[in-house]
Amino acid sequence: MSAGALFAARALLSRLLPFALFLAAWQALATSGLIAANFLPSVRAVAGALIDLGASPSFYADLGITLWRSLGGLMLGAVIGIPLGAGMAVSRGVDGLFGPLVKATYSLPKTALIPLLLLWLGVGSATSMVAVMFSTLLPFVVYTYHGIAGVPQILVWSARAMGTAQRRLLWKVLLPASLQAILTGLRIALGFSFVIAIAAEMIAANTGVGKLMFIYGESGAYDYMFAAVTAIVALAFVADRITVSISNRLLRWDDIENRLG
Amino acid sequence: MQAMTEAQIKITVAGVAKQFDQAGSPVQALSNVDLTVRAGEFVSIAGPSGCGKSTLLYMLGGFLMPSAGRLLVDGKPISGPGVDRGVVFQEYALFPWLSVFDNIAYGLREKGLSAHDVRTTAERYIALIGLAGFEHRFPRELSGGMKQRVALARTFAYEPTILLLDEPFGALDAQTREIMQDELLRLWRTTGKTVLMVTHDVNEAVYLSNRVCVMSQRPGRIVQEFAIDLDRSTGREAVVLSDGYTAIRNAVWLAVRQQVTIASRSVP
Amino acid sequence: MVMRPVRAIARSVMRGIVACYPLILLAIAWEAVARLGYVRPVFLPPLSAVIERMIPLTLAGDLLQPLAVSLYRAAAGLALAIVLGVAIGLLMARMRAVRWLIDPLIAFGFPSPKIAFLPIFILWFGIDHLTKIALVAFTCVFPVIVAAYAGATTVPTNQLWAARAMGTTSLALTWRVVLPASLPSLMSGVRVGVPYALVTAFTAEMIAGGGGLGGEMVLAQRYFETPTVFAYLLVMLATGYLIDHGVLALRRRVLRWHEDAGARDL
Repeated sequence: MSAGALFAARALLSRLLPFALFLAAWQALATSGLIAANFLPSVRAVAGALIDLGASPSFYADLGITLWRSLGGLMLGAVIGIPLGAGMAVSRGVDGLFGPLVKATYSLPKTALIPLLLLWLGVGSATSMVAVMFSTLLPFVVYTYHGIAGVPQILVWSARAMGTAQRRLLWKVLLPASLQAILTGLRIALGFSFVIAIAAEMIAANTGVGKLMFIYGESGAYDYMFAAVTAIVALAFVADRITVSISNRLLRWDDIENRLG
Repeated sequence: MQAMTEAQIKITVAGVAKQFDQAGSPVQALSNVDLTVRAGEFVSIAGPSGCGKSTLLYMLGGFLMPSAGRLLVDGKPISGPGVDRGVVFQEYALFPWLSVFDNIAYGLREKGLSAHDVRTTAERYIALIGLAGFEHRFPRELSGGMKQRVALARTFAYEPTILLLDEPFGALDAQTREIMQDELLRLWRTTGKTVLMVTHDVNEAVYLSNRVCVMSQRPGRIVQEFAIDLDRSTGREAVVLSDGYTAIRNAVWLAVRQQVTIASRSVP
Repeated sequence: MVMRPVRAIARSVMRGIVACYPLILLAIAWEAVARLGYVRPVFLPPLSAVIERMIPLTLAGDLLQPLAVSLYRAAAGLALAIVLGVAIGLLMARMRAVRWLIDPLIAFGFPSPKIAFLPIFILWFGIDHLTKIALVAFTCVFPVIVAAYAGATTVPTNQLWAARAMGTTSLALTWRVVLPASLPSLMSGVRVGVPYALVTAFTAEMIAGGGGLGGEMVLAQRYFETPTVFAYLLVMLATGYLIDHGVLALRRRVLRWHEDAGARDL
C-alpha cells in the first residue's frame, strides 16, 4: 500500500470510528433493559431486518418508486427552474414578471401543497412528483439567478471583444461561469426532493418507502421500521456524495474553495 | 541619560528561538535572539519582512511559546498573556460588536474597577484621543485612523506597565500615521511606560524610539543596535529636518537594507 | 410644503403595486377562471370563496388556534435546536475531541431527510406536541451547529489575543468574545432554521395528525373541503412571510454593529 493510500485509509477509519461508538452506545442502551425492547430494537435486530430487506424485491420496488418520484420531480424542477432563473437574470422583463411570483412562494412551506395536490391528482406518483417539482423549483431558480447575475461583467465583455455573438453568450460564458452556483442549487434541491417525496408518501400513498415505514410501525415490526429509516438515510447520503463528486469533476477547473463540501 | 542606564531591566530575551511546523516541514522563524529592555525605554525592532519580529512580539505577549531560550519580564518567565503587557495589533483587533466606549472600557472592566471609575477613565481617554462625541459609534463607522486611536486608548487605559506594538500604524495613510506617531509619543511621555514596537518603517523607528534594534532575515536575530539621542521637544519639523536625525536614520536604513539584500540574495 | 410627504407616500404605494402586480394579475385570473366555470369548484374554488371561508373558520376558532399550536411547536423545537446547536458548535470549536466525534455524524446527517425519522419519534413520543417539537429540534439543530462552529472558528485571532492580554480568562473568552463575534454566523443559521422549523412542524402535523394547521389541512382535504384547504394554505403563506420578515428585522437589530449592516438582504 502506498503511503498516500495508507494515510487515506487511516483518515477514513478515523471518521468512521464515531459511528462505531454511536452504534456501541445504541447497543448498550438497547440491551441494558432501561428501555423496553419495543422502543429501541437492538443493533443486531435492526441489522438483521436490514439484511432481510436487502434481499427482498418488494423493498427495492418501494425504494425504486420513491426514488422515481423524487428524481423525476427533481428533473422537472431543473428543466423549468434553471431556464427560468437564467431568464430572470438576463432579462429585466422576465424578472419583472416572475420575480414577485418567486418571492411570494419563498415563504410558503412547499409541503403545504401536498393536500391540495391530493385533491387535484389523487393518491399516487403524480402528486409526489409534482410536489417535488414545486419544492425544487425555488432552489434552482434562486441559485441559477444569483450564479448568472454574479458573473463578472469583464468576462462577458472579454468574450464579446473576442467575437462571441450576443445570443451565444449564455451558453459559452454565463452558464459555465455560474456552474458552481447551479450545482449547489442542485445539491440542495436533491435534499428537498427526498424530504418531499417521503413526506407525501407518509401523508397519503399506497406505495413507496414512506408508506412502508408507517406500515411497519402500525404492525409493530419496529426493527424493520428502524431498518427502513437507516436504509433511506444511507441512500440520501450516498446520493449526496455522488452529486458532490460529479460536481467536483465538472468543476475541475474552478478554484479549490469553490468546490462543494 | 544617567537615570536611563540605572533604570531596572524590564524585559529580557535570552537565546530565544522559534520553530513553526508547517505541514511537515519546519520553519525556523527566530534563532538565538538576545534583547534587553529597561523600564521606561522606547525600543523599536526593525527588519525585513518576514524576519520574525512580530513572532518575537507575540512571544513577549505570551501568545506563543519559544522553542528555545527564555523570555523574562521583571526577572520572571512569561507563561501567558497578562495585564502587565498591553498589545496593540496592526489590524486594531477592536471588538466590532462593542461601541468605542465599551471597547475602551473592556480592559478597565476586566480589572474590576467600579462603574464610576470605568466611566471617568474611559471618558478621559476618549477625550485624550480626540474622539469625544463618538463614544457610542461602532468600529465599522470609524475611519482607520480613528480605529487605531481607539485601539491605542483601549490598551493605554488600563495601564499595563509594558506596551507591545505590532506595526500599529502600518494600515494608515502617511498623514494620519504622522499624527498618530506624535500622539503615541505624547502618551508615552506622560505615562512613562516601557514600549517595544515592531515596525518596518525606519523613519518611524528613529523618530519615536530611544533605541532601534535591527533584526536579520529569517531565521531572525538581533544583529545591530542603535542608541538614539534626539531632542524631541523641538517638534516634528525641527527633529525630522535636523542633521542628527538624518544621520541616524541613514545608518539604520542602511543596516536594515543590508539585511533585506541578504534576504533577497538568499532566495534561490 | 404639505405635498412633498404626500407625493412620497404616493410614490412608495405605486412602487409597491408595481412590485406585486403579477400577484394581483394572478389573483384576478384565479377569480375569473373559477367563476367562469372552466374548472369544477371542488378543484379550484374562487378566491373570494376562499377568503369568505376564512371568516367562519376564524370565528369558530379553527384558524387561529391551530396556527398557534403549530407556531408553538415550531418555536419550542427551534429554541431547543438553538440551545443545543450553539452549545455543540462552540464545544466543537473549542475541543478537538468533540469535533472529531460530532463532525462525521453531522456530515452524515445533514443531507438525510429528517422527516424519515418521524415514525421513530411517533413510536417514542406519541402523536402530540412532543413528537413535533422533537422532530423540529432534530431538523434544525444541524444548520445551527454548522453556523455556530463556523462563527466560532472564524473569530480573528488577534481579537482573542487582545481580550486575553486584557485579562479575560480562557473560560470567559467564550462568553465575552467568541459568542458575540459568532453572532452574524448564528443569525444566518437561525434564518435558515426558522422556515425549516415551520415546514417541519406543518409536515409532521400533516402526517401524524394531532392538531395544528397541518393536521387541520389534511382533515379538510379528506372531507374535500377545498375552500378550507386553500384558506389554510394562504394562512401558511402569510405566516411564513411575516415570520421571515420578522427574522430579518431581528437580524438588523442584533447585528447593527456589523460592517454589512447597511447591505440589503435577499
